[in-house]
Amino acid sequence: MPDMRFSPPNPLRIADRTSGLNAVRVRSHNERLVLSMLLRNGNISRLKIGESSGLSAQTVSVIVRSLEKEGLIVSGSAQKGRVGPPTIPLSLNAEGAYSIGISIGIRKTHVVLINFLGEITAHSQFSHEFPGNDIVHPDIFVAVEELLSKLSVKKRERVAGIGLALADTFRESEALNVLRELLEKEFSLEVFIQTDITSAASGESMFGKAKNLENYLFFYIGAQIHSRLVLNHQILRSATSATYDGGTLELEKRLGSDNLSINELEQLTEQESQHSKDLQEWTEQCSALIREKLRDASQFVDVEALLLSSYIPNTMLQNISTALVLPETGPEVVVSELTKAPKAVGAASLPFAGRFML
Amino acid sequence: MKNLLCYGDSNTHGQIPGGQSTERFGPDDRWPGVLARKLGSSWHVIEEGLSGRTTVRNDPVEGKHKNGRRYLTPCLQSHAPLDLIILMLGTNDLKRRFWLTASEVAMGISCLVHDIKELAPGPAGRVPEILIVSPPPMLNDLKEWSAIFEGAQKTSRELAMAYEIMADSLEVHFFDASSVCVSAPEDGFHMDLQAHHLLGEALAQEIVNIGWINDN
Repeated sequence: MPDMRFSPPNPLRIADRTSGLNAVRVRSHNERLVLSMLLRNGNISRLKIGESSGLSAQTVSVIVRSLEKEGLIVSGSAQKGRVGPPTIPLSLNAEGAYSIGISIGIRKTHVVLINFLGEITAHSQFSHEFPGNDIVHPDIFVAVEELLSKLSVKKRERVAGIGLALADTFRESEALNVLRELLEKEFSLEVFIQTDITSAASGESMFGKAKNLENYLFFYIGAQIHSRLVLNHQILRSATSATYDGGTLELEKRLGSDNLSINELEQLTEQESQHSKDLQEWTEQCSALIREKLRDASQFVDVEALLLSSYIPNTMLQNISTALVLPETGPEVVVSELTKAPKAVGAASLPFAGRFML
Repeated sequence: MKNLLCYGDSNTHGQIPGGQSTERFGPDDRWPGVLARKLGSSWHVIEEGLSGRTTVRNDPVEGKHKNGRRYLTPCLQSHAPLDLIILMLGTNDLKRRFWLTASEVAMGISCLVHDIKELAPGPAGRVPEILIVSPPPMLNDLKEWSAIFEGAQKTSRELAMAYEIMADSLEVHFFDASSVCVSAPEDGFHMDLQAHHLLGEALAQEIVNIGWINDN
């Protein structure tokens, strides 16, 4: 019988490092586990990683060395502990990976470039006359090229992929296939497709205030109101629609406008105006709907928090949160801090989730 | 108190580059000594460096006792329980008489790791932490050693990669000495005083990074 102990070792992991990020390799579960832990908590030691993951010190050592050489994580300077010798904290390397996120809306398309920590390093947007779902806008390619050109050649190689967020109702279509193929061909990047609401929840779970929330209800206030249930960090979507009237379309109807810009929304909140009453009523209506959906969900699951996300000004979102008035025993209400293009940032989180995280 | 064994060759023994084989740096200037000072009183550092020691080869010239595998088990049992074992070997495997590739030398290291795991000389019979250190590569001019190490310079530069691949597959710790120090020009493959200090300090940080639960 051959002694397996003395057969040559598998050089895959090490030999791969020289070829950069784009090498197609299945990342091991344990590597994803360590990266996910570092995403949720920066500045933790190898000891802490071992304790929380249950991996042995030697396994952690091998993984950390590999990720460090790949440039995905960095070690900080030694921290003097209260007892014992100083320890070296580890974090994700902000410049270790980049991602492009595209969110195609009804009137507008947002394109963002984010770094490994989810920070927007470049942002571009354009309006379109027709809903973005059914046709391929050439402006998308211009925008992606523009954002990628902001990266040096070396950093360009560290782009993990393109995330594409589409309206909840999107279906496989010829236009979508063309768009995906053209993006992949033009930029030599893998394209990840998801609904925009699930994308926004993903961005929130990876980079936002939901980082450390295992179970929560996610609400996105857009033209309409949408919801998702997140259990054990997994974003669930039911087969039936989780979209309700009462979003900004409703507000526009109340105010007699057909397209409220961000500036107009901001002005609404800033001053006492003839619309204050309408705005107040709309806020009440939003929170009533969210309360109702929370009550429905609570019959089946116990969520620790309720997260509100939107593109509307943060004060408006805060007002909806305040109007919710949940019982003390109810879940915590969290207002998102990802206010700039949350769907596009969420789209950009998809390649990271697919390639690096659990 | 934690126990640490430094198992190596002349570069652990502290042989002075270009000096007589009997000339040795003082205990405070050899890397295990530097390491001990850096780690502080909670660590007991055991030096075990033998000049000419190979990983697993019987040396037909210098004698069978230079075979690192032969002495490893009694050495581990003498000093058990051990929390950490550092293996820094391989330079002597590069002698012309053995004529080996880097991955063959790494394979020798793997034998030692397997022996340690089998014996499990850690606290309460556990497998201790194991740290493989690849020695600094040789310089091109090996002076009077040139014939003995003929053709070894290139292989010595390949050791780090071969060791790291091995360490990964065995899931043990790894450190590349060439990331902090170089061989001395006096003979081209021994470490001088400065190299010993740099290596000792770097290894101390490396050991702390492993992360140890305070048991006192």
